[in-house]
Amino acid sequence: MKANEWKWALSILFIILLAYILPYTLLTDVAKWYGSFLIWLLLAILVIGINYFLTKDWK
Amino acid sequence: MTTAMVWWGIVIYILIALFIAYLSRSGKQTNMGSYFLGDRKMGGIVSALSYSATTYSAFMLVGLAGLTYNGGVGALGFELIYLMGVSLVAFFGPRFWVVGKKYGYITPSEMLGDRYENRLVAVVVSITSCLFLIPYSAVQLSGVGYLLQGMTNNEISYTTGVVIATVVAIIFSYIAGIRSVAWTDSLQAIFMIITSTIVVLILVHSLGGFNEFFGTIETERPNHLTVPGNGFWSFVTFLGMTIPWFFFSLSNPQVSQRLYMPASLKSLRTMLMGFMIFGLIYTLVAVMWGFSAVVMFPNLEKADLATPMVLSSDAVPPILGVIVMVGIVAAAISTIDSILLTLSSLFARDVYGHFKKGSTDAMQLRVGKIVIPIIAVLAYLFAELELDLIAVLSVASSAGLLVVVPSIIGTFFWKRGTAAGVLTSVIVSGLIVIILELFKLKPLGLASGMWGITISTILFIGVSLITKAPEQKANEFIDVIRIELKKSK
Repeated sequence: MKANEWKWALSILFIILLAYILPYTLLTDVAKWYGSFLIWLLLAILVIGINYFLTKDWK
Repeated sequence: MTTAMVWWGIVIYILIALFIAYLSRSGKQTNMGSYFLGDRKMGGIVSALSYSATTYSAFMLVGLAGLTYNGGVGALGFELIYLMGVSLVAFFGPRFWVVGKKYGYITPSEMLGDRYENRLVAVVVSITSCLFLIPYSAVQLSGVGYLLQGMTNNEISYTTGVVIATVVAIIFSYIAGIRSVAWTDSLQAIFMIITSTIVVLILVHSLGGFNEFFGTIETERPNHLTVPGNGFWSFVTFLGMTIPWFFFSLSNPQVSQRLYMPASLKSLRTMLMGFMIFGLIYTLVAVMWGFSAVVMFPNLEKADLATPMVLSSDAVPPILGVIVMVGIVAAAISTIDSILLTLSSLFARDVYGHFKKGSTDAMQLRVGKIVIPIIAVLAYLFAELELDLIAVLSVASSAGLLVVVPSIIGTFFWKRGTAAGVLTSVIVSGLIVIILELFKLKPLGLASGMWGITISTILFIGVSLITKAPEQKANEFIDVIRIELKKSK
């Protein structure tokens, strides 16, 4: 893998780890729509954004 | 919703889809690449929609909505972690695509066989895929049967539903191979995302708008907004369900084969981004759908009833109810027809191609076409028999196919990987997954998929290290990718 691929891969991995950790720790008692519901949506949108930039040069 | 309306809905859907399938025929499908891969000339948008329709089966609006109904927001996390896992396509997609073009691969298992210089690898990987995916298709077929039966109070029988789905899936695959599958898939995907979004907007509106909707859940079912919540989504369960799905884009041949098809890297990119946006919206819709059922019908005996109850409720106009129901049937069919086509290509290329030495491309295509209805009928028979073993294999399919993942990663990133490593890891850990599922065992509390991926990784690495790697091929293969990607970026 090329250097910038590693950078993106690690960012995605980090976000996915957050998607496992946050809802089961910080947010486990937040019974609101802005708890786990929102955080999972935001993390998914973040990953989609990374994919957008990662694939920008594909021709 | 009357039975007559349901029949009309089905007939209109089939007629429109047949027309689209007929229009999709272009050129002559006289070789494997043309029939199964659309000559590697698929456009980005159709690829994205078809990828979506193939991935999202009837499971979403029935199963995922049911999981939300049962356990709450954990279902959203589960499905979105799958979606994040599709990022694997951003890393593996261009690599599959480049070697597919360079070496003319038709199937992912053919690629493994060539890369590890052992055709038995291709045979074993294809047979493993068939073993898990035919039962998976059978369960999709039964889903159609139960849905139609349930929605029409038995006026359309289970068998009628299953027969309709089987016949339609065969026809869609047959008319123009992947082209007719991709175009009918696209129709289904657009249709489904629009109608189901409308239904969810109507539901949320009728339940008092966004704030009141969530307000009701917060007061009546606060557990549904957290994990582990009511205990359904314990962390171990969450892990056990998300890990197999995380690798779905690599492990399932009906989607990984799609990586060979786009006309250019740009089309591949459109496919990836289009799918991710589609997936995000559709996941949100399915989960909100489940939440609506929690608010409207808090005390159902079975979560599977959530969707039929919502569809036949007063909140949803009957016409829209019928349209979405036909959409769910179409979603099952769009998944089955893609699996049918992929499995028949696996059989023709890797199994028949291996045992019949010197078989030409034209002979393989003929065999592939003969195998399509055979696999469909097999799935139909499994659906009719409703055997326990079939249900087990279907549930095990995401976990079972996971055992191929270490070998696929090794193909591109580990020159020391060997054929013996692939064969041992796939066969041994595949059997272990089946045994665990069959006897409902969860050693150390971990689900079969977790064991499957761990054991297959250890075996793949361990056995590879003590056997001789195809060094020359590995170097050439990885160099080709490096050079070609540099050229096309």
